[in-house]
Amino acid sequence: MVASSRTPLRIDRLRAVNTPQPVVLEWDESGGLTVVKGGKVEAILESWRIDDEWWRQTISRAYMEVMLEGGKRRVLFQDLITGQWFAQLP
Amino acid sequence: MTSSGYIRVPLGLLAMSRSSTSSLAACVWIPLFPLRCEEARQGGLANYPTALLAPDTTRKLWQVSSLARHAGVKPGMTVSQAIGLCPTLRLIEPDPVHYDERFARLLAALNEISPVIESGELGLAYVGTDGLEGIFGSPWKIIEAIRLTVGRSDGRTVRLGFGQGKFVAWVAASRSKPDEAVIVPLGAEKAFLALQPISVLPLDSSLHRRLRLLGIRTLGALTALPEEAVTAQFGEVGRRLWRLAAGRIVEPVAGRIAPEPIVAALTFFTPVGERELLGHSLEQLIARALKHPRRIGWRVHAVRLRAGLEGGGSWLATHLLKDPTADAGRIGAPLKTRLEQSPPTGAVERLILEFTAFAPGTTELQLFARDAQAAARAGQQRALQSAAREIRMRVKRSSLYHIVEVQPWSRLPERRYALIDYEP
Repeated sequence: MVASSRTPLRIDRLRAVNTPQPVVLEWDESGGLTVVKGGKVEAILESWRIDDEWWRQTISRAYMEVMLEGGKRRVLFQDLITGQWFAQLP
Repeated sequence: MTSSGYIRVPLGLLAMSRSSTSSLAACVWIPLFPLRCEEARQGGLANYPTALLAPDTTRKLWQVSSLARHAGVKPGMTVSQAIGLCPTLRLIEPDPVHYDERFARLLAALNEISPVIESGELGLAYVGTDGLEGIFGSPWKIIEAIRLTVGRSDGRTVRLGFGQGKFVAWVAASRSKPDEAVIVPLGAEKAFLALQPISVLPLDSSLHRRLRLLGIRTLGALTALPEEAVTAQFGEVGRRLWRLAAGRIVEPVAGRIAPEPIVAALTFFTPVGERELLGHSLEQLIARALKHPRRIGWRVHAVRLRAGLEGGGSWLATHLLKDPTADAGRIGAPLKTRLEQSPPTGAVERLILEFTAFAPGTTELQLFARDAQAAARAGQQRALQSAAREIRMRVKRSSLYHIVEVQPWSRLPERRYALIDYEP
């Protein structure tokens, strides 16, 4: 019998990918988002809200996907429980 | 093995090559270059309606002369359709190797004017002219020098453009008449571009149609819109088009001294038509070229297979590998597919394989490249283990990971995937 060449998957060795990073945003006088760490915001492409997992630790987030100067895209969300903003990749 | 002189290579690939750039550009454009080569080879051909058959499928037309076009013949038509429209149409078998050699000679001639030459498709080249005013004088005199150089072989059909960056030079050349030039003075780019039709932009047909539906017919109409609006509508492509149209992007001419290609050739005692034998010969040529000392440590990025045909014709297949490789199977697969789908139109007398562009990769990738050779001999698994061990020794930690799906359906991006140490 040929032994499997694959190492068994161990949950304790998983590393998170694309974890949300706290971010400070800048807004203009009219309340429009202008600057995110990493660049100037050119357009807000989409926004949505997620309310979930009320049965354990409630998740309540307001998301938006923005396009930065140069064409990069970022997903931003505000934790509606703590009020803090985070950024991550789409 | 033999080697040839100047070889055209895809842009942006040649880490093995040195490069220099020039922001002032002259564009040399000979429309329908392959057809012009045939007209130069066969005197009097220009007086007849003529069509060149496609190199990949000889049942369709590739390029048609203006006389044939007047009779309603268009590129892409089948031969029977074209003959139906124009019974006097002269059909010509393509000779791609001849066109390539003619173009290489043109590039070599332009190299006498400037060391910074960048080639585009057949018949299109950019000459970097930064500093040439000290030798020739004004842009008009530089253009005249280019015209005289090109004129030795292709003078009557060449169109020339001059300006800041490749795009302006190309648009200028496309607006000029045969054997004439359009020069865009420095600072006048925006005004010049504003009057041009949107067809000068590098657009696909669907984007072209969308712009026309929006009533945008000139570059000026496009740049009259806010850049952000065009970006929001057409994405990153739209932003690039807007900036090109506004003269905000100045792409310099990037001259490259091409590396000497690795060439392996085989001459058959009797001309060969069997595809199976040609495929087998190709495998032998790839194996021979891969063993070349200059190839070790480099992955092949572009390959070219040429065939000299019985009776004087030729056949040519070029392929750009998406992932550079040193694996014979992956190098040969696209060429074999081409041999199957559109084989040479006659028996082959000589088969020539060239590796024309190479990718070095990072240190780690080169390590893999060398190990891949070992893998071919001793098994991929052992090679991967060795490579992973060496990387771990160098960086003192495991830096190879698998991406594993955790909850790919999750609405929370951070829960979809995770990394796990890769231990082959």
